[in-house]
Amino acid sequence: MQRVIERILNLLAFLLTAAGPVTADEIRTTVAGYDQGTDEAFHRMFERDKDLLRRLGIPLELAPTDGWQVEQGYLVDPDAYALPDPGLTDDERAALWLAAQIVRLGGQVGAADAVFKLGGAPVTASGEPLAASLSEGAEDLGSAFLAVAERRLLTFDYRAKPRRIAPYGLVHRRGHWYVVGAEGDAVKVFRMDKASDIEVGHEAGAFDRPAGFRAADAIPQAPWEAGGEDMTATVLFDADMAWWARRQIGNRGSAEELDDGGLRVELPVANPEAFIGWLLSFDDAAELVAPPELRQRLVARVEEGL
Amino acid sequence: MTSPKTAKRLNRILAMIPWVIANSGASVTDVCERFGYTRRELAADLDLVFVCGLPGYGPGDLMVAYIDEDEVVVELADYFANPIRLTPPEALSLLAAGMALVSTGQAPPALSSAVTKLQEVVVGTDTETLVVDLAEPPFVGELRRAATDRRVVRIVHTAIASGQTSKRDIEPWSVFATLGNWYVRGYCRLAGAERVFRIDRIREVELADELFTNVPESTEPEIGYTPGAEDVRATILLREESRWVADYFPVEIVADDPEGLLVRFSASDPLVIARLLLRLGRSGSLVEGEAVEETLLDLRDRVLARYRDQG
Repeated sequence: MQRVIERILNLLAFLLTAAGPVTADEIRTTVAGYDQGTDEAFHRMFERDKDLLRRLGIPLELAPTDGWQVEQGYLVDPDAYALPDPGLTDDERAALWLAAQIVRLGGQVGAADAVFKLGGAPVTASGEPLAASLSEGAEDLGSAFLAVAERRLLTFDYRAKPRRIAPYGLVHRRGHWYVVGAEGDAVKVFRMDKASDIEVGHEAGAFDRPAGFRAADAIPQAPWEAGGEDMTATVLFDADMAWWARRQIGNRGSAEELDDGGLRVELPVANPEAFIGWLLSFDDAAELVAPPELRQRLVARVEEGL
Repeated sequence: MTSPKTAKRLNRILAMIPWVIANSGASVTDVCERFGYTRRELAADLDLVFVCGLPGYGPGDLMVAYIDEDEVVVELADYFANPIRLTPPEALSLLAAGMALVSTGQAPPALSSAVTKLQEVVVGTDTETLVVDLAEPPFVGELRRAATDRRVVRIVHTAIASGQTSKRDIEPWSVFATLGNWYVRGYCRLAGAERVFRIDRIREVELADELFTNVPESTEPEIGYTPGAEDVRATILLREESRWVADYFPVEIVADDPEGLLVRFSASDPLVIARLLLRLGRSGSLVEGEAVEETLLDLRDRVLARYRDQG
């Protein structure tokens, strides 16, 4: 391990100080650690080392060594290498570190490696009896986030169809990861764990996000808020289910507690079908009072069900 | 491929050097705490840095790195004065974890400011491109504190599937979120066994005076539904508009026909399947399952009765 690390430190020092792209041959004859062995041994070793550099996040590029474009050489741009300093305090680093211990994202990403880059943090004992996992559909999140952060196009298969989107944002809500993006002119939402064969476009800055874009707005909090209609529904909930209704409604609409412990609620509804579906999950402990046409739709849905 | 251990060691060296350069006079204790080193590991890494540098590889070309009494010294390493940019998965793991806790409303102020600063350099803050929402139902805070203090709690819990409400004394071991829901896991004295409860189905929490002592070794709780022998089964046809059901419920796909998706559904209570069918209306129909059919008919009558009353 020691020899590999020495060799890579030498290689990286050389690349970061080089005036321009350097060829593999130049590296072999100049950088300590590469000068022994056969051609094949060198190439194997060099491939492994390049792979390691890229895994650490080092932007190793290939570029022509002169205007004739005859030879290609390797290049690490010191500006692209350097972490833009977010200016974190020690408390902030420690808080991030602790958060990463509590909330886990799937995959092999070491939060420690990231915190070290940011300047390390005094390790606090993590006996927290609290944990959260955001790992559902997290395998390809890194790629999706790269595309979002660098404004690269994203292609993937979704419901047996190939898609190509301009990914505007990434949202985790109700236990799932979603990518929000423009497919043609339409902004759509895709569940990450249903997308396969994800690929990130080569070109950075391939699209512009609409000014003031807010990814959270693309995915409504409650299913009945996603739709094009605009109506207010009045619902009665029985006393024994009032707590559950109250909890799901949160601070939407207005609620009034009745003398018998029940609840009378007025709620804005954008998607009547989804709203009816949700109300039916209360069995007969909820009643849609108004508007009458919505009430009729609910009755029709129940009657047609068999 | 080079081993992950090598990558981790190299990453730590390339993070430690810039920090020592920026904080000259840094003590061994500080560097060790910050980067999780033992003094010996740090000395070994500094020795390694000392023999590396620029071609020529003589004095003046090599970096200088050593421990001077209690001080860490790194010189002639200006090309390593900056830490490496975060990879997208690294940035995401920190941001997502930070945002998740911030969304619960229980994060310390340092975390909110850390997330804002990090977001600014990674994606910018003029548009909102990353959102992590881990909204907490009531009682998560109380239950977490009870788990920390090892305090017995009395909960009132309603199983939504069966509608049964019970009062139980539990010894809460841990509180966790997965698949969008919060759970408390612990020993339930009513059941006399380990249980996991969805926190949003807990209606009341009362702290007891009693503390408990027995907490088993922490194991990753598995949340998911595994069909049991006494479960009710049904076969359902999901038409186009209802295909999402297969994404959200643990069903077994029997056939995918032009007419729709044929799935086998198991549940601990027929009401769970009946309720779903009622909700789907015409877009889902029961193909097989006697117990579910009976429950569905009854459920339908109950709902319609409520609407017929006042016409």
